[in-house]
Amino acid sequence: MAATRAGSRTREIFATLEYGPAPESHACALAWLDTQDRCLGHYVSGKWLKPENRKSVPCQDPITGENLASCLQAQAEDVAAAAEAARAALENWSGLPGASRAKHLTRLAKMIQKHQRLLWTLESLVTGRAVREVRDRDVPLAQQLLQYHAIQAHIQEEALAGWEPMGVIGLILPPTFSFLEMMWRICPGCPPSPGCTVVVLVPPASPTPLLLAQLAGELGHFPGILNVISGPASLGPVLASQPGVQKVAFCGAIEEGRVLRRTLAGVGPELGLALGTESLLLLTEAADVDSAVEGVVDAAWSDRSPGGLRLLIQESVWDEVMRRLQVRMARLRGGRGLDGAVDMGARGAAARDLAQRYVREAQSQGAQVFQAGDVPLDSPFFPPTLVSDLPASSPCAQAEVPWPLVLASPFRTAKEALAVANGTPRGGSASVWSERLGQALELGYGLRVGTVWINAHSLRDPAVPTGGCKESGSSWHGGLDGLYEYLRPAGTPARLPYLSENLNYDTFGLTVPSALPAGPETGPSPAPPYGLFVGGRFQAPGARSSRPIHDSQGNLHAYVAEGGAKDIRVAVEAAHQAAPGWVGQSPGARAALLLALAAALERREPTLSLRLERHGVELKAAQAEVELSVTRLRAWGARAQAQSHSLQVAELRGPVLRLREPLGVLAVVCPDKWPLLAFVSLLAPALAHGNTVVLVPSETCPIPALEVCQDMATLLPAGLVNVVTGDRDHLTRCLALHQDVQALWYFGSAQGSQFVEWASAGNLKPVWVDRGCPRAWDQEAEGAGPELELRAARTKALWLPMGD
Amino acid sequence: VLKSILHSLLDLSWISKIQVNQPAVLRRAQQIQARRTVKKEWQAAWLLKAVTFIDLTTLAGDDTYSNIQRLCYKAKYPIREDLLEALNMHDKGITTAAVCVYPARVCDAVKALKAAGCTIPVASVATGFPAGQTHLKTRLEEVKLAVEDGATEIDVVINRTLVLTGQWEALYDEIRQFRKACGKAHLKTILATGELGSLTNVYKASMIAMMAGSDFIKTSTGKETVNATFPVAIVMLRAIRDFFWKTGKKIGFKPAGGIRSAKDSLAWLSLIKEELGDEWLKPELFRIGASALLSDIERQIYHHVTGRYAAYHDLPMC
Repeated sequence: MAATRAGSRTREIFATLEYGPAPESHACALAWLDTQDRCLGHYVSGKWLKPENRKSVPCQDPITGENLASCLQAQAEDVAAAAEAARAALENWSGLPGASRAKHLTRLAKMIQKHQRLLWTLESLVTGRAVREVRDRDVPLAQQLLQYHAIQAHIQEEALAGWEPMGVIGLILPPTFSFLEMMWRICPGCPPSPGCTVVVLVPPASPTPLLLAQLAGELGHFPGILNVISGPASLGPVLASQPGVQKVAFCGAIEEGRVLRRTLAGVGPELGLALGTESLLLLTEAADVDSAVEGVVDAAWSDRSPGGLRLLIQESVWDEVMRRLQVRMARLRGGRGLDGAVDMGARGAAARDLAQRYVREAQSQGAQVFQAGDVPLDSPFFPPTLVSDLPASSPCAQAEVPWPLVLASPFRTAKEALAVANGTPRGGSASVWSERLGQALELGYGLRVGTVWINAHSLRDPAVPTGGCKESGSSWHGGLDGLYEYLRPAGTPARLPYLSENLNYDTFGLTVPSALPAGPETGPSPAPPYGLFVGGRFQAPGARSSRPIHDSQGNLHAYVAEGGAKDIRVAVEAAHQAAPGWVGQSPGARAALLLALAAALERREPTLSLRLERHGVELKAAQAEVELSVTRLRAWGARAQAQSHSLQVAELRGPVLRLREPLGVLAVVCPDKWPLLAFVSLLAPALAHGNTVVLVPSETCPIPALEVCQDMATLLPAGLVNVVTGDRDHLTRCLALHQDVQALWYFGSAQGSQFVEWASAGNLKPVWVDRGCPRAWDQEAEGAGPELELRAARTKALWLPMGD
Repeated sequence: VLKSILHSLLDLSWISKIQVNQPAVLRRAQQIQARRTVKKEWQAAWLLKAVTFIDLTTLAGDDTYSNIQRLCYKAKYPIREDLLEALNMHDKGITTAAVCVYPARVCDAVKALKAAGCTIPVASVATGFPAGQTHLKTRLEEVKLAVEDGATEIDVVINRTLVLTGQWEALYDEIRQFRKACGKAHLKTILATGELGSLTNVYKASMIAMMAGSDFIKTSTGKETVNATFPVAIVMLRAIRDFFWKTGKKIGFKPAGGIRSAKDSLAWLSLIKEELGDEWLKPELFRIGASALLSDIERQIYHHVTGRYAAYHDLPMC
């Protein structure tokens, strides 16, 4: 009887040749949950932590809604316990040589290998992602990551001399993430750097990180280097303010990142943000269109990336691409993630609702929506969706495209494609499809994003840094850049909170106290030209008022121009205009200009020394400061030469270029101390890396900087360097709130630092603040160390697969 | 005049702009095998379907009437009768799609099949197989003789020299003449993709072969060092789809060489399903050239029906 039924089924399938269910057994995932009595707590210091009287959240199968386990929600004291454990583990862990840490890492990689089935079924079960993606990509990549960092741990003593680990790292993960996001960040954070330990705050109902923590914990020896607690996002600031926490890495939605940036202003740890999920694909008429269509599938409909895709298609191939795309979409299969034959799983009701809402809004704004594919119609599934004909100015066209949507829009020329692609506030990853080498490179270099793949999409490797720019945040994982995220120059003091509760963000630096005539000027002679150095010449300030500068005796020394909001605006515009020319210069040409400036400074040495002396510096010391400034300019000129390098990557023929690109318009607020040396030490690396600069010189002693401006007026292209004198708090406010300033370095008061951190949330510009602690600019490490080099440019990974 | 009419079917603009990105195609090829799988009844039904696509082949120097006869019998009864009965598939007339032999053995095959009382077509390789390095005149004669002997499908090899030197019109002319020599017999054009140098050339040669009137395009002879691979297949299938979109004509596809396991055959079926769609999954449009594949499929069916793995002597040899 049974045979006949099976037989009739076979006959039917023989006729239709349809796909059947191909379920992956998840018995081992359930068995693991049973070992915890279906109640998951936190994993702290090598033990399960299940405190009493905590609220619990059900962990559900996103497709059937079946309750798999209940997860205890952490409270502030649990976070404190985890941070305490990480701090305690720090001492044991820190003294260990690299080779021992490497061994530990390799053992963890082996541990993952032994339990990979448990790992992939559990991950697919609770996240709803296609098991193929977890099994064939995430798990092997997790092992490669550990192995890569094991090797780094071996060689780091030499390679990273001069750097030391930060200490306890807090990691905050978003609700929909792959456990891989955690691996990317804990691998460099935890074992290879001596002394970093990690506390991970995962959203409720994410068992996989807990399993990983258990696997790491069961290796023995170093419990407490990886602690995982599950709780609501509101615990983020609590984690950040735990004593000892030196860095907080957050990945998630852009708006949440903004809020966290504001909340953590002035709180001790450094904040690294990796935000947003959208990616971009640029399809030119010179592309292998069928392969590019597969690129779209990889990018949006393969459970590979967390978000949607912005697709730019050259107008001349628009019809062809759309036709092929629609045919391809029809063959996509969606279903339960644990089915071995689906392209896409489901992401839960929230992701579905988000996609649904976007589609509805796009339609109401005039878009065409095409959906296809063999996908169940009921919640939480959502079919592959192609949105087109959306007017460029409509709100949906500006918003981030959610999973699993592709928003297609046309472009006419490569130049226009760049303008459109760079015209969003996000800058995560992008791919370029063109068989013309010259065109592909032009686009690859021109895109303002963290990662560019040429004729490929979504490739990852532990050796290649991944990150972004603009609102996608400027933190990195993978490669050397990922390591630096958790290192600081040796000897840097630990970061302590410097929060000033009564700092009023609304009024900080809002107004400038009026300056009145304070008697006759007593020097210098000849006086440097009066005005702000903007756009290559000295200009009168917009407010038409001046501020008195006093010498060390308290005598009125000179009046300088009082810069204001309008002057900052003009200066930033001038810097933007100068940017394309300066970026286009070869490193050699940049070096030559820096050397010329050094020579000019040398000629001006007597005057500069006198000016410094007038401000209370001894003549000898003043001469030394000028001399050191000249050296700095020369040194950065030489260092401008070698910046980028190429990486070799497993499973890819061809190189990955790690490019160092300028940040754009960099604003620098100089400290009061070392009025010349600090000014030059900050200016030189910024210029060497191709940035254009708006500087606010020492508030109390701006004269030496203005002296240098006279040489810059004749030597440098107009607008490359702009110097605005005036009230530091006021100018800082204007710069920090400026949306078109790409980065800000601030050396001033603690309050100013806190304000800068808070205000940077606007365009999420990377900021570097001294938190009111003065730096030793005359020391090589602090005044010209590799930290400046790291901060003066951003990384871009350019993947160049080859083959014919 | 005749030549100009022939040329009117040739449109070099269809191949002039084409670009195939090899690394991207390799990635797609890797994915296809991981993205689809069939289990249980689905696997059994798919495997039986795969049997009906097989061009059961022997191309050896020591072929004689006796092993050709055995081959033909196996072609008619590819799966043990009791296994088919257990699956309720015994009345479906499951045979392989064709038998494929050297020209000199066509008579043997026709005779053996007639004796077995079945109508499975006989395919013959021709045109100086496998290298194609003989004179055009003898190659054409070979085709004609094979057809006269009763072959109804001719697998011709193309002249690789013409591809590597970019003589697309000459290649078109040659295939056109093979087409004429075949008469009513089906023309399967072997591109010998392992020797074409690049995937872009594979696409171009596919397009030319289809424009010249091939009924099938076939990956390889099975005698080159590189045989039927997924990357090559993807490019050929994309060419078939493009040709269909341009002309409305469906051209068949035949991978050959190196396809030995049942699992491989399933991957090939899903590749066709994904790239071209279900309408290509019939013997008129899809063949698998293989000799060893059938026994592995039979073993898998045995396991599906009985729950046990077969010993070698449990299944008849072919």
